[in-house]
Amino acid sequence: MDIPWLSAKFPQLSGLKLLARGGQKVVFDAWHANDGDVVLKLLHKATGEERLEREVLAGQLVECERVPRIFEVGSFVTPIGDCIWLREQRVHGTTLRTRLQSGRLDFDSVVRLGVQLLSTLGQAESKRIVHRDIKPENVMLDRGGNFWLLDFGLARHLDLESLTATRHAFGVGTVGYSAPEQMRNRKREIDGRADLFAAGVLLYECATGTNPFCHGARDQLDVLRRVEQLSLPRLPFPSDRNGAFADLIAALVQKYPNQRPRTVAEAMAWMNEIASTQANPAVGGWSV
Amino acid sequence: MMNLYLQFGHGMMGLCRDLIRSWGGGTAILSPRDLKRDQLVKLSREIRGLADGHVLLDPQFYIPRSDHHRLTAHDYWPDSYQTNGFFGGLGMQTMMADVLQLNRDLGCAAFILPGLFATTIDDVWISTLRATSEYAATMNAGMPLYATVALSSDSVRDTANIHEVLAEFETLDVGGAYLLFEHPKGNYIVEDPIWLGNALELAAGLRILGKSVVVGYANHELLCLAAASVNAIASGTWMNVRAFSPDRFLNPDEEEIRRKAVWYYAPSSLSEYKPAFLDVAQQRGVLASMAPPSSYGSTYAAALFTGVQPSSVGFGEPEAFRHYLQCMLRQASGARGSTFDATLTNLRQMLDAAEQQAQMLKRNGVLPQLRGFAEAFDTVRSALITLEATRGPMLRRAWARL
Repeated sequence: MDIPWLSAKFPQLSGLKLLARGGQKVVFDAWHANDGDVVLKLLHKATGEERLEREVLAGQLVECERVPRIFEVGSFVTPIGDCIWLREQRVHGTTLRTRLQSGRLDFDSVVRLGVQLLSTLGQAESKRIVHRDIKPENVMLDRGGNFWLLDFGLARHLDLESLTATRHAFGVGTVGYSAPEQMRNRKREIDGRADLFAAGVLLYECATGTNPFCHGARDQLDVLRRVEQLSLPRLPFPSDRNGAFADLIAALVQKYPNQRPRTVAEAMAWMNEIASTQANPAVGGWSV
Repeated sequence: MMNLYLQFGHGMMGLCRDLIRSWGGGTAILSPRDLKRDQLVKLSREIRGLADGHVLLDPQFYIPRSDHHRLTAHDYWPDSYQTNGFFGGLGMQTMMADVLQLNRDLGCAAFILPGLFATTIDDVWISTLRATSEYAATMNAGMPLYATVALSSDSVRDTANIHEVLAEFETLDVGGAYLLFEHPKGNYIVEDPIWLGNALELAAGLRILGKSVVVGYANHELLCLAAASVNAIASGTWMNVRAFSPDRFLNPDEEEIRRKAVWYYAPSSLSEYKPAFLDVAQQRGVLASMAPPSSYGSTYAAALFTGVQPSSVGFGEPEAFRHYLQCMLRQASGARGSTFDATLTNLRQMLDAAEQQAQMLKRNGVLPQLRGFAEAFDTVRSALITLEATRGPMLRRAWARL
């Protein structure tokens, strides 16, 4: 993509430079006079216009402190084809995936992640949105140690018709994180509890340093089999008083939705109780 | 506390009155199969006339094409039944109105809804569950609604199907469920940990959904349901009211109560013994260890422990039944602890102690024959471990409000 051409299209942006490119998406870093650091995302319509519109809608609906704010949306014809563009808040930091490459998180950080992630998912739930792609690549750790949820590209709005064909044996998501009902495309069963499963796996991975379903698996099918059949060992956190955090994680990663907390809000209340009773006064507890 | 209800069966009228009177209250689940309408009304009046006496009515509509003449003679039983049309129309509505009226006439504490026996849990069965529950919710019954979930042994073993039922209950407007689990192969004591684990799973899932749960046709193996925070289990006299089987409601020829052996329930070993083996126990000097704790308040078997040869003291069916139910009452009410973990500990200690006692008796030649628990100790332990893994965190958290 030609930067001068793009700059001409967005005269209010300065310092445009390529940040990332992947799949049907190109992301630029820029400066906006009113909104400060922003990213400009170009989403190729070939991906499926309706799904892109859903992504934008989801991102706009989930107004939450830990989801990058979408300032502006539009569509235009570019040299690479028809695109939807989004101008959104830039979060400075690193993805959780990158962070995990240097080892697991400490207990305080895992609890902070739990509080902030479940709070964000609770906001999504209140807007009838299921993210469906919670994984380390989609969580950003900012310079202040806070966690942001990114990429609503697979989000499902429960009041809108599903875009995934019912006949498909497998649903959208990421094997090793997505809940069994999501992987098996049992659409009737999918609600916020699918995100709770993935959040549980993510928290487990951050606590131990490895994804228990993916670690040592032969292939994707093996991962899927593990997700459906493997019961995760209880989290061994010495700092976890009374095993309260291990209990919550164990509840989140249950195979059937009805075995998990009934709502994200319920899980969030549980997480907040843990945070309030286990907060380390030296670091001032955890804020949303 | 987990309550013990009385599951009415053949010849239990006097027993129900006597036990509920002596217990200072209790609940009997009445059986249209065994009682005509006027008998139902009379017995209900008598029980409700006792302090804290309550009744429920099990409509026993498990098999609509039943030929059981006493059951089908009840006014509410439909004259004709077509699988396809009945639950979607007037047939079901008429029957529900009649059953509700009978519940009102009997002064029932809750309305147990008619429900089909599920050979398999499929869309048809689920739709009948929903149809009866939704229609009942429109009837202004004036009492809590309990949906009947009567499952074949194969259905109970199917974990995915158990979760189908739970998913359905998330949106069913009923206050509770009346659960009936067919025993595999007609066994009195079940040795299948999957069957028992799924029974616990279903019960616990319903409780976490805020539903009351009564499990019918239970014997002492289902004391472990206390870990699922079940509100009550129901048991009775003969084996056929301590282990659910649909055959009981199908075949009029089956209902003859044959003369059977008398069994003494030793609560300390969770096993039952014939008097001849109590004689052996006496001879070997271990009979006293088989007596119920005095705190159980069962005097019905006192004659067995007076020093006279047990088989000669006239310990008969009435005493054996009353003793069993008295012990079950105490064991059921004592099984639940103040927390989920305390309940698990209670149950595990009970199993460990009972296994040791049963082994000691066995070493002394005191054998329970067909009513031993030896193969079930590990079955119950395994099922409790599964429950702790799947439901433990949620039960632990919710226990105080369940």
